[in-house]
Parts: sequence; C-alpha cells; structure tokens
Amino acid sequence: MFLYSIGRSFMFALQSFGRNIWLSIATIFIIFLAFVSINFLVLINGISQSAIAAVQDKVDISVYIKTDVSESKIMEMKNHLSSMAEIKNIVYKSPELNLKEFQERHASDEKIQETLKELNNNPLGATLIVKAKELTDYPNVLKSLDNPAYSDLIEEKNFEDHSAAIDRINTIADNVKRGCLAVSIMFAIIAILIVFNTVRIAIFTHQNEIAIMKLVGAGNWFVRSPFIIESVLTGVIGCAIALALVYPLVSFVQPQLSSFFGDMNFNLISYFNANLIKIIGFELLGIIVVNIISSSLAIGKYLNV
Amino acid sequence: MIHLLDITKEFPPKTLALQNINLHIEPGEFVSIVGLSGSGKTTIVRLLIAEITSTKGQLVIGGWDITKIKSNQIPCLRRQIGVVFQDFKLIHKKTVFENVAFALQVAGSPTSRIKTIVPQVLDIVDLKDKAYRYPAQLSGGEKQRVAIARALIHRPKVLLADEPTGNLDALNSKGIIDLLLKINEFGTTVVLVTHDKDIVNSLKKRVVTLDGGRISQDQRVGKYLI
Repeated sequence: MFLYSIGRSFMFALQSFGRNIWLSIATIFIIFLAFVSINFLVLINGISQSAIAAVQDKVDISVYIKTDVSESKIMEMKNHLSSMAEIKNIVYKSPELNLKEFQERHASDEKIQETLKELNNNPLGATLIVKAKELTDYPNVLKSLDNPAYSDLIEEKNFEDHSAAIDRINTIADNVKRGCLAVSIMFAIIAILIVFNTVRIAIFTHQNEIAIMKLVGAGNWFVRSPFIIESVLTGVIGCAIALALVYPLVSFVQPQLSSFFGDMNFNLISYFNANLIKIIGFELLGIIVVNIISSSLAIGKYLNV
Repeated sequence: MIHLLDITKEFPPKTLALQNINLHIEPGEFVSIVGLSGSGKTTIVRLLIAEITSTKGQLVIGGWDITKIKSNQIPCLRRQIGVVFQDFKLIHKKTVFENVAFALQVAGSPTSRIKTIVPQVLDIVDLKDKAYRYPAQLSGGEKQRVAIARALIHRPKVLLADEPTGNLDALNSKGIIDLLLKINEFGTTVVLVTHDKDIVNSLKKRVVTLDGGRISQDQRVGKYLI
C-alpha cells in the first residue's frame, strides 16, 4: 500500500509538472542559472587551489655547501635533515653537476666561460635543495640549519619566500569567490521564491482535485507529497543541466588556462574529475533540501489539509 | 450509528448555524434532513465529514467520537463515510472509471483491486458501459451516479447526500433517489439533505426538519411541511 502511494505521488507530481510545463521550464531555468554561478564558484576555487599549490611547490631552501666539505659530511647532514618530520624531500646536487648546469646556463657568456677555463679547480660546492611539507615548516628547517654542527659547512642559504605571491593569489581568489558567492546567494533566493511560487500556482491549479482528494479520504501526506516531489524534480533537472554543461565549458576553457598558467601544469578537468562525486552530491543534496523547505513553506501557507 | 449530542456550531462573528442539536440515526436508516436555505442542513454534513468542528456538544459516528478528531484521522473517517454533493465534484480530465478509481488510488489500493472493484461499483450505478467517457460527455444524472459510485467505492456504512438532485431535472432526480434507496436496501445508512419537497414526500421515510439551526420536527414517516 505504501509503495502504491509513493508511486502515485510520483505520478501525480509528473502530471502536474506536465500540465504547468512553461512554469516548470521557467523554474528549471532559474535553478540552472543559480547552479551555473555555483559551479563557477567551484571552478574559481579549483583554479586558486591549483595556483597556490603550484606556487607552494616552488618554495624550497637551497643550501650551498663550502667547496672543501667532503661528500660524507654532506650526506651526514642530508640524513640528519631527512629525519626531520617537516621535510618532504632533499635533493643532493654534486659540485660537478652544479658546474655543468652553471656552464650550460651561461653558455653564451664568453667571459664566464674563459674564467672557468682559467680556474683549475671547480669553484662551486655541492648543493642541497630542501623542500618542507608545509610553508609553515620552513622556519624550523632554517633553524636546524643554524645548528653549529652544520652551519660551518654551509657557504650560503637561499630561501625564496613566495608567501607574498600566495597572499596575492589568495586575495584575488577570495574577492572572486565573494562576488560569486553573492551572485549564487542571489540566484538561490530567486530560486527559492520561484519554487515557492511554482508550488503556489500548482496548488491553485489543482484546487478542485485537492478538494476531491481530501473528500475521498486521501491522507495529508498523500495530498502534500506530489507538490514536494514536483519541486524536487525541477530542482534536480536544473542542477543536472548545469552540471552537464560544466564539462564542455571546462574543456573549452582548459587550453586557455593551461597557456595562462604556463608551466604550472594546471588541469581543471582533473580537478573536476577528482571532486566529481563531492560536487554532484553536495549540489543535488543542496537543491533537494532547499526545494523541500521552499515547497513545504508554500504548502503550509496555501494548502489546507 | 450517528449521534449528535447537544451540538452547537457558531461561525464568527456571532452566527449560530446550529443550536443544541440532538439527533440519533440508527444503522440502516434512510433519513432526510430538510429545511430552508440557511437552516443548518449543510453545516450538519460538514460536521459529519469533519470539515468543521462543533463549538459545543459531542458527535459520534459508529462508536467513534469525532468531536475533537485529529487532522491525521480525518482521511480514515472519510473513507468510512461516502459523500455526494449537488455539484458532483468530478475531475473533468479523468474518465468515469478514473474518477471512481481515484478514491481508491489516493487510499493506496493496489491496481489489481481497483480493476476488480471499480467495474462492480459502476455496475451498481448502471454506468458500466460509460466507464471510459469523460464527465463532459455525461448527463447531470449520470454525473451524479459517478459521484455516488465514487462515494460507494470504500463500501461506507454511511452515505451523505447533500442536495444530490439540486442540479437535476425531475426524471434524473427520481433516478438518483431510486439509487439511494437501493443502496439503503443493501444496509448502508443514507442521510439525504435536501429542500426538494416532492422527493421527501414521496420517500415516506424519516424526516428531520431544521429551522433556524434547531430541529423543529423529527418524524418517523414524515413529510416536508415548511
């Protein structure tokens, strides 16, 4: 009996959806617009997260070792640093490799090339490139390098702090997010009002039917549920269309983003794929909850059962 | 079957629709409630289907005190009381079969049961051959018979008929009254609310006369005397 009632509630909801098709389309369109702006917000979030991750990835400490330090001493220091919980990885670059890279970098500079030829020994020492797990871990790493046991081995430390760039990205992203959030909230409010109005009109359209339903003994829930189902249906369709359009849009934008972000290896499609279930789940759940609340309010106000 | 004990109904601001009504209807009775417009006839029907509640008094149907019935109990009550109205209250986009089946659908009956019962009830009201017509394709009398079929679908113990012949000509009115008598013969208590003098006088059944919200007469085999 319960399954029959559910089935018939869905049937009545679909009938109502079809009878007020233009109203249903208008409601779906507004919900679609709301989700386009929400998905844009998600894209901005993805872009800013990837940009920040890319900049964070460039942060490291280059430790230039004195030329007279033996490789075993350097390895001892490397092992000590590797044992720290804050360290992500350490790359050892031998003096020979540093010299080779230096020569390649200045291949067109004749003066440097001549000077290097005149020197009998390699003027460059080894280098340790230290990457911490988090930006906040770098002060600790720098502190441990100041340990007298190692500080005497170090010629120079070079810590490129990108926190200013990260702050700038964060600020831009936050501003865009705020703008998108405001637009999303505005569309969400419009969607709530439209759903409310759609249900109100559906109630007026079905006034005769509702009166007969009540007369012949339809339960309160049975009278109410088709309106709730109908509103959820319009919400889910609007949300699904918006989600279906996100992929082609992302695919279209991806080449432009890739060229803009250069070597940051930024891929919005991968971001969407990785978060697909979360995005679909939250958006569908959100629109279902919003539409249930909105239609329940309209039913409470206009439907006397 | 139906007990109205000292029932008073007041509508705001200070309109007394019913005053201290005491009425007992036995199971299987055929009772006509008559009176002029505004005498309180329809208010009794609305009280019996729990569309409104009384201001004072007690209302018991089949041992069930519905004086302070909860809103979630009303559907259960309405499945036990069949009601027909002057304006038929049919859904114009549904066929005769669908209109009658609608009462079972909203009650959650299985489709197989609907397919079995609806033709049986349409047979009782003699509309089996018009099952797939729409209300617009029926005469007034046929529309009312559809409404009666729908009211009977839950096999109610009580059938309330509020001015069922109000929109019908004499011939169709007689057909409807004959049908109500036939239903009453099967054991269903019938409460007929009407102001049609000829019909009431021809019935030779119990007549309760209302006047200004009070019962002015209650005759076992009565006549319309106003």
